[in-house]
Formats: sequence, structure tokens, C-alpha cells
Amino acid sequence: MTADAPPVVVVDESQDSAPPPSGVRVWLSRHPLAAYAIRRVGLYFVELWGALTIAFFFFRLIPGDPIQTLIQTLQQNYMYNQQASTELIARYQQEFGLTGNLFSQYLKYMEKLVLHGDLGPSLINYPTPAQDVILRALPWTIGLLGISAVLAWIFGVILGAIAGWRRGKLGSAIATNLSIALSHVPYFFVALILVYIFAYSLGVLPARSAYDSNITPGLSLEFIGSVLKYGLLPGLSIVIIGTFSWILSTRMLMVPVLGEDYLVYAEAKGLKGWRILTRYALRNCYLPQITAFGISLGFIFNGNVLVEQLFNYPGLGTTLVTAIQQLDFNTILGVTNIAIFSVLTAVLLLDLLLPLLDPRVKYWK
Amino acid sequence: MNNVSESVLEINGLEVVYSTNRGDVKAVRGIDLDVRRGEILGIAGESGSGKSTLAVALLRLLKAPGKVTGGSVVFNPAGRSPVDLLKVHGEELRVLRWSSLSYLPQGSMSSLNPVMRVQDQFKDVILEHAPDRRNSLHEMIPRLLAQVGLEPRVAKMYPHELSGGMKQRVLMAIAVALEPDLVIADEPTTALDVTIQRVILQSLADLRTDFGVTLMVISHDMGVHAQLADRVAVMYEGELVEVGDVRQVFKDPRDPYTRQLIESIPKLGRRAS
Ligand SMILES: Nc1ncnc2c1ncn2[C@@H]1O[C@H](COP(=O)(O)OP(=O)(O)OP(=O)(O)O)[C@@H](O)[C@H]1O
Ligand SMILES: [Mg+2]
Repeated sequence: MTADAPPVVVVDESQDSAPPPSGVRVWLSRHPLAAYAIRRVGLYFVELWGALTIAFFFFRLIPGDPIQTLIQTLQQNYMYNQQASTELIARYQQEFGLTGNLFSQYLKYMEKLVLHGDLGPSLINYPTPAQDVILRALPWTIGLLGISAVLAWIFGVILGAIAGWRRGKLGSAIATNLSIALSHVPYFFVALILVYIFAYSLGVLPARSAYDSNITPGLSLEFIGSVLKYGLLPGLSIVIIGTFSWILSTRMLMVPVLGEDYLVYAEAKGLKGWRILTRYALRNCYLPQITAFGISLGFIFNGNVLVEQLFNYPGLGTTLVTAIQQLDFNTILGVTNIAIFSVLTAVLLLDLLLPLLDPRVKYWK
Repeated sequence: MNNVSESVLEINGLEVVYSTNRGDVKAVRGIDLDVRRGEILGIAGESGSGKSTLAVALLRLLKAPGKVTGGSVVFNPAGRSPVDLLKVHGEELRVLRWSSLSYLPQGSMSSLNPVMRVQDQFKDVILEHAPDRRNSLHEMIPRLLAQVGLEPRVAKMYPHELSGGMKQRVLMAIAVALEPDLVIADEPTTALDVTIQRVILQSLADLRTDFGVTLMVISHDMGVHAQLADRVAVMYEGELVEVGDVRQVFKDPRDPYTRQLIESIPKLGRRAS
């Protein structure tokens, strides 16, 4: 009798509560992957908002008066009237979004950023907007660092897998020890060696700038060739060190997998070595490398400051250094925002991708 | 039937040593044993007596620090010339695997690749050794699964979605997929509970009836041999102390150690019920 009573109550309740939400809930429980994706994307926007907010307040709290700096620059450059009129200062404060209290400044900044993609004027390039300054540098950084990072990952994972696979053999030992030695050498050190060899001693490759200044930028073969030639040394220095560190980490992930029962079983099955390496060994250890790759891709949007400085490459790293030297807050904050955006987006895409790559990754909890 | 030898496997003076930093462990000390075509041969012996070592040495899966230090293992696959398993290498060995000599590993819980569907773990080995069966895969895999009492939908599942008994059965089905001459099964029932053990033993017996494979079944449990084997070989500290017809051995064990093993069965039976 008691067993009969509860179902009746349950039925009544479900009829009382509004049907549409339960309809949505039913749909979501039938599509766990979609429910997961919706929740994950929602979380992404919360994270994005939180990180952008923290960055905004963080930079506002740094001491230093950008307007004073700008006025000084203008005075020096154009021999301005000793006392800049209060009117002028007020206009600049308006333009840089420095009027009102901190909270209303924040609201105005977010409004301009979200609705118009506007970061405010850049101080060093006044009155060019900071987003224009950043967008000018962005393709160089993406081109140089993005391509280098992808190449380093591909080379590193393949070589690392082979090094793990052939552990105990001489070639593997050499590759591993070389990786241990080189993966923690700073990029710029390798860059200096490459410059010494190829630019200074042999004189075959250029070591400064992003392209030959005698060639007009455009979609010409000549220009593209020049970009590739000028990008070779900085790119190579990143690829070399990156490859070694990926070799090391892939090998480290690979070796424990090689002791697993399913590898012995694959061998007993008489499968070809290459197939065992890819389908059994690598397939079970490459996921952490995908995650790590996504995160590292996010970080390249900070620019690789030292390499870009060394090669005088017009990327985000160079822009950031110049902006910091001149207290160009809008540009600094803009570069930070791009880094935040790209790291979070990369992690989001990975989280959405991983359940599809590994059946053991549960997405419904 | 002229070139089909009566023995599938002729083991002569097999010796295996593990070289550890505490000295050499002689795990297999000069074993002579024939495996007859079509029989189920049980290998008995307590834990550590060298049963698995014998199996992986035959299968050429022995890993460092293990090393075969002597003997020969002549394998007579039907329709192929006899080979010494200890002397084949590389491609010749790889081609022999599974199509002639397959394996049901001990601790089979982790022998399936966690990121591949069950059907793909059938597919890769079948296509590797019998590429002409590509078009019959869709009927072959469900049939093999049915043979060990599994539903066709298991083919689409991943190992982590299977129970221990289901994994064991999947491995049994994969082991006979290419109708090998010899299947070496290492402790096929050990990790399973008693009810599943019976089902697995029955399926193993059925496999012999249905596929005519020769089975070498390793188990420390004499009860398994009593149920399943035609002949039983008893190992003790790396040596064979007794080989014979299973009924003969149970009725009149010649070696005191064998008697001890047999006496331990009723105890197991009582615990199970
Ligand atoms: N990798 C190894 N290194 C050193 N010694 C080993 C190694 N593997 C096994 N041995 C030793 O070889 C002997 C036989 O081991 P083996 O695994 O063949 O026994 P088993 O009969 O299969 O036992 P179980 O019933 O527990 O599976 C044991 O003394 C063991 O300690
Ligand atoms: Mg064993």
C-alpha cells in the first residue's frame, strides 16, 4: 500500500510544475553530449568575463599616469605650450576612459570592448586605436609562432613516440639525452647560435626584421618568399627547442604505456610494428599532448618576447615590450585580453573535442 | 593427412632464466612435452612454478630479464612446414602469430586496447593475417561473439563498458577468430567468480568441438583440469613432475606433489558453495 502511494504523488507533481522546463530537461538528458557542450560553453563565458574583469582592475591599480606621460611626450615632440590646458587633459581623459569612478570606467571599457571591439586609443601611436596596433602585429606573431609551434609539436610527438618505442636502442638514448640537455635551453640562446652560424659566419640568412624592406608588402611571390626567408631563423630557434621538449614529454608518456598488457597482446596478435606503435601505444598516450598543445597555442598570443626582440620581428611580443616601456595601458590590456581570450578558447575547444577522441572521457558529469 | 603430424608442439629441454640483480632465477628447467593435435592439455602447478613463463617462452613474448637458455620447440602448423619457434624471427614469426598460434593471456582484464571498440580489435588481427575476409567481417564478428555467448551489440562497445567475464569471452572469441592450430590459455578463469568460471570452461570446451583447435590451458586450479583437460602436465619449481591422462592422474597420482594439488580441490569446492 505504501508502495502505491508515492507514484501518485510524483505524477501529480510533474503535472503541477510547468511542462516546458521538464521538456527541456528531458531533451538534455537524451542528448548528454549537447547538455555537456551547453554547460561548457556557458562556463566559458563566465571564465572569460571573470578574467577580463580581473585584468582590467589589475592594470588600473598599477601606479603611473598615462595622460601625464602622453602630455610629456607631446611636449617633447611638438614643443607644446608649457602648460597644457586643463581642457586638453580633460579631453584625453575622456578619450582614454579615465573619467568617473573606477566602476563606471569598468562598465564603459567593457561596453566598448564587447559591443564594438574597441580597446581605446593607443598611447604610443596616438590617436590610432589599440586594437589596430595589435591587429597589425598579430598576423606576424600567429605566422611565426603559430607555424613554429605546430611544427615543433608534430616533430616532437613523432620523434618522441619513436624514441619511446625504441627505448634501449642507441638512437633512442641519444635522442633522449639530447632532449634532456636541450629542452631547457632558452630559445634566445639557440637563436643566438643560429644567428652566429647562418647570418654572421655564412651570411646566408637575414637576422633582423620580418621581410626585405625593399619589397613592397602584398600578395606577391617575391614578398612571401622574403617573409619565409626572414622567418626561418627565428622560427627555427623555436621549432628546435620546442621539438626537444615535446620529444621528452611524449617519450615520458609513451614508456609506461609500452609495459601495458594490451601491447603484449598486440604483439601476440602479430600486428605490424608501425600499427602497434600508432594504434595501441600512441593512441593511448597522446591525449595529454593534445591538451598541452592547445594550452601552448593559447600562450603564443603573448608573443615570444625575447625571440621577437632579438630578430626585431614586428609581432605582439615587440608591441607588448614597447607598450610597457611607455605605459601604454590600453595596448598592454589589449594584448592581455587577447591572451586570455585565446587560452580560454583553446581550452574550451579541447574540452569539447576530448570526449570525441577518447571513449573513456566522460562528458555527462 | 600425410603431412599433418600427430603433435602440434614438441618441446624439448626448454630452459628459461630470469637474470635479476639477486642472481639468476631458473623459472623453467628443461621441460620435455608434446602437445597432441586436437587435445586439451592442462598445465598445473602452484603459483610461481613457471607456468606463465613456459607460455610466454612458447609464444615468443618473453621480455627481459627473461631469456631462453636452451632447448627447442618444434611447431607443426597444419599445411605449413614445421618450424622451431625459438629460431623464427621478424616477419616469419609475425606471420605465424594468431593465424597458427594464438594466446589467451593471464590477467586478461587489461589486454584489450581501451580506446578501440571490440569490433576493431577483431578487425585489425583478421585483416592483418587474412585480408581476403574483409567482406565477411560483418557476419564473422557477431558469429564469433555468439560462439562465446555474447550478443552482437558487444561488438560496438569499448572495453571499459564490459564486465570481467565479458572481456574474457571477447578474448576467447578473438583467440579463435583465425582458427589457429594452437591456443595457449593462461589462467582463463582465475580472476572470475565461480559461476562465470563454469560458463567460461564450458565455452572453452565448445571451442574445441566447434573449431577443432588444440588448447593448452594453464591453471593452478586442479578443478579446472578435472573439468576440461584430456591430459594434464604438473609443474613444480620449473620442472615437469608428472604428465598423463587426466583420469589416470587423478585416480593414481605418481608424484606426492600432484597428490597435494588434487587434495586442495575439495576445499575450493566447499568455499565456493
Ligand atoms: N620478470 C621477472 N623477473 C624475475 N623473475 C621472474 C619474472 N617473471 C617471473 N619470474 C620468476 O619466475 C618464476 C615463475 O614465474 P611464473 O610467472 O612463470 O609463475 P606461474 O606459474 O605463472 O605463477 P602464477 O600461477 O602465479 O601465475 C617465479 O619464481 C617468478 O618469481
Ligand atoms: Mg602465471
